[in-house]
Amino acid sequence: MRVNPNPLPDLLAALQQNQQQINTDLAEISSGQSVNVPSDNPAAAALLVENADASAATDQFQRSISSISGELQNADSTLNSVVTALQRAISLGVEGASGTLNDSDRQALATEVQGIQSQLLNLANLSYQGKFVFAGTATQTAPYVLDSTSPSGVRYVGNGEANAVTVGDHVSVQTNLPGSQLFSSSGGDMFQAVQDLIASLQTGTGVSGAVGEVTSALNSVSAKRVFYGNTVNQLNSQQTFLSTESTQLASQQNTLGGADLSKVITDLESSQTARQAALEAVAQTQQTNLFNYIK
Amino acid sequence: MSSLNASLATALSGLMAEQAALNATTNNVANVNTPGYSREVPVMVASDPVVQDPLTFGTGVTLQSIESVRDPILESQIQQETQTQGQLSALVSALSQTQTSFTSSSSDIGTAISNFFDSVNQLSASPADLSLRQGVVTAAGNLATAFNVAANNLTAQRTNLDDSLTQAVGQINQLTGQIAQLNGQISNLENVGENAGTFIDQRTQLIDQLSSLIDVSVIPTDNTLTLTTASGTALVAGVQSFQLSTQPNASGVQQIMAQGSNITSTIVSGQLGGLIAARDQQIPAVQSQLDTLAAGLANAVNGVQTSGYDLSGNKGVNLFSSPPASGAGAAASLTLAITDPSLIAASADGTVGDNGNAEALYALRNQTVVAGQTPTGYYSSIVFNVGNVTANANAEQSASSLVLQQLNDQRSSVSGVSLDQEAANMVQYQQAYAASAQVISTINSMMETVIAMKTS
Repeated sequence: MRVNPNPLPDLLAALQQNQQQINTDLAEISSGQSVNVPSDNPAAAALLVENADASAATDQFQRSISSISGELQNADSTLNSVVTALQRAISLGVEGASGTLNDSDRQALATEVQGIQSQLLNLANLSYQGKFVFAGTATQTAPYVLDSTSPSGVRYVGNGEANAVTVGDHVSVQTNLPGSQLFSSSGGDMFQAVQDLIASLQTGTGVSGAVGEVTSALNSVSAKRVFYGNTVNQLNSQQTFLSTESTQLASQQNTLGGADLSKVITDLESSQTARQAALEAVAQTQQTNLFNYIK
Repeated sequence: MSSLNASLATALSGLMAEQAALNATTNNVANVNTPGYSREVPVMVASDPVVQDPLTFGTGVTLQSIESVRDPILESQIQQETQTQGQLSALVSALSQTQTSFTSSSSDIGTAISNFFDSVNQLSASPADLSLRQGVVTAAGNLATAFNVAANNLTAQRTNLDDSLTQAVGQINQLTGQIAQLNGQISNLENVGENAGTFIDQRTQLIDQLSSLIDVSVIPTDNTLTLTTASGTALVAGVQSFQLSTQPNASGVQQIMAQGSNITSTIVSGQLGGLIAARDQQIPAVQSQLDTLAAGLANAVNGVQTSGYDLSGNKGVNLFSSPPASGAGAAASLTLAITDPSLIAASADGTVGDNGNAEALYALRNQTVVAGQTPTGYYSSIVFNVGNVTANANAEQSASSLVLQQLNDQRSSVSGVSLDQEAANMVQYQQAYAASAQVISTINSMMETVIAMKTS
């Protein structure tokens, strides 16, 4: 059979194919990615899109958790001050309830409790980064305003709503407790109790009862305060979970689209060897033919 | 009875035949690198013998013809495969360009969708914060821009394909004109019994080129060829070529016209077939998916946005311009309907600090709001589709290249010039020539003997 007398086009095609492989390998090495365009691996490219979105969401949840945690911790430490102030009011009340005090001594105590009262008002009107954190969702205005017509001396102008923020797939946390629940619940109305204590110290009657009221207000605030601690803990564990997830997503991303460098470099070396061989073949091909021998 | 003169004539026929054969070899060697050239072989036959009872004498050799060696079936296979190759090359080059819009980057649509929802989640933690609201507006703007850029790239690509198509039609017309002209020359030569091999080689080469541009059926007729497209539109009939033309349709897309009728949709292979498939099928399919995504996402976001309340407690308004009802062109026309960050409707009940609606907006990230898929899910299926058609076209093109290469090898093994063979032939002809010359010289000396016989 007659054979193809001109193998050069085949050799050139082989060289070209070789060069293409080398280019692909170099692109993988320089980008560190095996999927540089969707056609490199369509299924992996599609999964990488989902992976990138999940990664972005995970990073965002962590950012949201940081900002929520800051607010919650601030509220918690404010509630700590509230508890301390109420404890001080109780000890002042207990002191005032003892029969050894005269009117002016009690008056002095009442004045001190009034100081506590205004301190409590400031604490309940805590503003963090432009938000009144104990105002429910009416965060743009201070929730407690002085009102002499109110029996407790203050009026709550916030609302009873709470926000919840998504901090994970199907995980959302409540981020605030409204003041109406924290400070003004029935049976635990802090401002009413303190107002009653002041009045009883001033009149000298019913001080023990007023101390009892303040104590139950203190218990109520302490009990509600647990919400903040719990939520911060929940956020911390969610943060831990998210950073684990972040690592997993990154590893999945690498599995899907990362270049296997040792493999690519081996490929590159064998492509270069093949190219060398093909070049040698081109150089050797048909250097001589029968014409060279006819004299 | 034979004569010395007759022997001289026989020897002379040998000299002349070998000389002509050497001419064929010389031509082969000269054309060793000519693309499409088919090697020529001399066809020598013994001349008619002379009968002189009771003997029969040979009268030498006749060079009957010089024939080009070619395999018509192989050549038609090459033309077929060249058409496939032309179609796939055009498709691969178009799709490779298309997929760059869907390659992951800091500004691709997938990233823009993620960034938008991230900004909404950030806002949800502090729904009244103006800078976070501005973040949402900016991310939404970037999302709209990402859609615009991708859609405009696809449109620009279709326009470029239109230009390529017009150029290809020009090339086709030029080639069919040349082929028709060669048809005339070939039939003129063949009608007088001459070898038209060189012209046939040229014509084959031109048909190969034409095959890379459009689907061609070759119908051999007496001494000439008729070329039609696969669907039967005449391109060349004998010495007559039929020009194709382009004409924009109502939407400005170039259509291919042949003798007044639109044949665009009937062309399936060759470069034209690839250009048309990319322009009229593949890219529009991607465009329509992109529009579905843009419209689905914009409608869902607008739906949530208008059910909430903005920073002033007013009912929310659309965040994105309303996509066209049909969805067509949604990606290209997507813009922000608002630029004031206070108009983001984060609140579900009108209270400024409420984040209920921001949460509802965020929830869209995982809701099946685009043709039964989440926004990112749908985008990832676009990426898969684009990658998949490109990868398939790539694979088919590689396979077709191999087939074409093998066919060309086969063609070359039949028709290619081998220098070794030509050298061997040359030696053979040279030796035969020398032998014939020696015979003449011998006859000459025999003649001299005869003449000397008379004078002595």
